[in-house]
Amino acid sequence: MDFSIRAANVEDCKDITRMIMELAEYEKMSDHVKISQKDLEQDGFSKNPFFHGIIAEVPEQHKTKEGHTKVGYALYFYAYSSIKGRTIYMEDLYVMPEFRGKGIGKALMSKVAQLGLAAACAQLNFTVLDWNKSSRDFYFSQGCFNVTSDQGYHCMRCEGEALEHLAQP
Amino acid sequence: MPDQVLISYKELQHDGFRQNPFFQCLLAEVLEEHKSKEGHTIVGYALYYYTYSTWKGPSVYLEDLYVMPEFRGKGIGKNLLSKVAQVAKEKHCARLQMSVLDWNTPSRDFYAAKGAQDLTVSEGWHFIRFDGQALDNLANEAPKD
Repeated sequence: MDFSIRAANVEDCKDITRMIMELAEYEKMSDHVKISQKDLEQDGFSKNPFFHGIIAEVPEQHKTKEGHTKVGYALYFYAYSSIKGRTIYMEDLYVMPEFRGKGIGKALMSKVAQLGLAAACAQLNFTVLDWNKSSRDFYFSQGCFNVTSDQGYHCMRCEGEALEHLAQP
Repeated sequence: MPDQVLISYKELQHDGFRQNPFFQCLLAEVLEEHKSKEGHTIVGYALYYYTYSTWKGPSVYLEDLYVMPEFRGKGIGKNLLSKVAQVAKEKHCARLQMSVLDWNTPSRDFYAAKGAQDLTVSEGWHFIRFDGQALDNLANEAPKD
């Protein structure tokens, strides 16, 4: 199937918001999503954006039942390793279920890797849920490794009341 | 893991102190009369940067938190961490995230005591990485523009 990959623009935020919700449902965390289309527009497309996006589109003749031609996205930002220097972090990678198995996910992720190398990044990092076998199989088939299993790093988070409390002088 | 450190102070200068810095850094300093045996008064640091959660919005990632061993147990680590949390709040960040090695019990206890959740244990999140040849190979397969 024909598809194209391009940089996201502010007009894509409606579809990105839709697909963020689809991804959250897939990860069984849809009640965790608190940001809106407007937040995405502001946070991703103002003077100092917090993230950048890539969109996968199919031609009109392959649109979904609901009429969508934007069928996948990757969202990334630049990060830093005090050991290796600049890195790129892929926050989201998603392809609508009916468009999987056609190379779209691979194309999106490869594009993030290419952009990372162009910016002199030494690593492409992201996370995956341990029960998400199909995603894990896909990622490991592309040559990445599991930093948590291999090196023992755990993801930690402070939010809500814990963060408020920690921020007390 | 000292054999893994590839960057020099030049990279840090360039990447942290330019127009769109890749990171921010807080330093802990002691008075001259408390300097270390080697004469250092800068005895700890916290290195962090801004990230984005598509669920919660802007967030902060604490890449490094370090206090020289002879200056531990005096609240310096806690103060550095609190300062990063204050910065996160001022910038309307919903989350402060970091990683910790599973064998590092003092650090795990320290973060747990501050209310951090271990998402690897509680939700099953794993860090995944492409680097070196695997990263080059992946990038080479990107569609041509």
